[in-house]
Amino acid sequence: MVKVTVCIGSSCHIKGAREVVETFQERIAKNDLSRKVELGGTFCVGRCNEDGVSVTVDGEYYAVKPENAAAFFDDIIAGLAG
Amino acid sequence: MPLRLESGYTSLNKKNEELCGDKVEIRRNGAYTTLVLADGLGSGVKANILSTLTSKILCTMVSENISIYDCVETILQSLPVCKVRGVAYSTFTVIHISEEGKGYLLEFDNPAAIYRRNGVCGDFDREEMLVCGKKVYKTELSLAEGDMIVTMSDGVIHAGIGMTMNFGWQRKDVVEYLNRAIKPEMSARCVAWLLAAACNDLYLDSPGDDTTVLAVKVRKALKVDLMIGPPVDRSQDDFYISRFLSGEGKKVVCGGTSSQIVARHLGKTVRASIDFPDKDVPPIGYIDGIDLTTEGVLTMRKLLEYSEKYLSVSDLSPKYYTKKDGASLLAELLFEEASDITFYVGQSMNKAHEGLPIDITMKLKLVETLSKNLLKMGKNVEVFYD
Repeated sequence: MVKVTVCIGSSCHIKGAREVVETFQERIAKNDLSRKVELGGTFCVGRCNEDGVSVTVDGEYYAVKPENAAAFFDDIIAGLAG
Repeated sequence: MPLRLESGYTSLNKKNEELCGDKVEIRRNGAYTTLVLADGLGSGVKANILSTLTSKILCTMVSENISIYDCVETILQSLPVCKVRGVAYSTFTVIHISEEGKGYLLEFDNPAAIYRRNGVCGDFDREEMLVCGKKVYKTELSLAEGDMIVTMSDGVIHAGIGMTMNFGWQRKDVVEYLNRAIKPEMSARCVAWLLAAACNDLYLDSPGDDTTVLAVKVRKALKVDLMIGPPVDRSQDDFYISRFLSGEGKKVVCGGTSSQIVARHLGKTVRASIDFPDKDVPPIGYIDGIDLTTEGVLTMRKLLEYSEKYLSVSDLSPKYYTKKDGASLLAELLFEEASDITFYVGQSMNKAHEGLPIDITMKLKLVETLSKNLLKMGKNVEVFYD
């Protein structure tokens, strides 16, 4: 199980947290990964200055922009889940 | 739990009129609240002047316990006489009532007020009296918890005349409608909206007369404590949080950092949802022992928008909230359910928010405006800056 946590705090919300969550949800549904990827949210993780929405994948930190969310999912998350 | 008196009204202007000929005036004086609904003769400016004078004079005098005879005499001598009709005339309904529901009701030429008791709408047992040659009906009030008075201008019972109905709906139809539509948890504000909105529908969205509904309800007090933002002095976190958590109020925490320090104090964790029932509002969170946990500034901004609409006496959007986003949940809790609200506003600056439209000045401004709006709703509001 890959644990993916998206920050949905104020600053990440402005940077597009909702789009990132939705993209991940679509990807999970499309690739039938609901039993391999656990998607969750968290309030502010204190890294509001990063250029992108704060995402952790199995504890590893990433800043993800909405426009790169699909590619990020395929490269990093799907890779680990696969 | 002590009782609270709650009131609210909605006014529809006659189509193509900028001013409403109906006027509601509300004044609190000690334990008593005085509410007046006046409907001036005619419409537009003339009616507005008549009803404004009538409601203002009556409300001020009655709340100072001046006898009804003196009040009516003052009005008769003050109102300008209409050149067209040769009379000075405005109807009125006066409710003078304490938080415990004791007081009296005076009615002159408005449709008889509806008395809702034990979930059923009916009539008051009115007593006719002659005041300066005018028939005024008086009722001694003794309302119990949950009881409500719904009073209205004649625009309500004329709604739909010649449009959707031959003779409009009658008072008994209004009673029947209210029996069906009022839910026990609805506030006075919500019921006023409910009936006025139904009238607006019957008028096919272009009212043929000024239409006003004023509702008054005796209810149990409900206290809400809302913490937003971490206190400046970090070493005192535990002190501030204990103070916030003490007392019987429902607990609300707004903001990421605030939720973390509250959760830490309770020895719990914050869980955040990833559901977006409203795309503009960040998801809510959960802390065991806290009734509602939301994001901070963005949720507040939406809540403030809702509060403006809730207060507007002409806005016809629903006055209850069923959506599950943070702002709607807060609106239902603060506007509809709460009677007493205490804000605990932390003024610590979040460095990461500097330069963003979510910084501390924005937050303080939002809380200030929101608390003013809650006061206008008739809530008891207290604000602590920590």
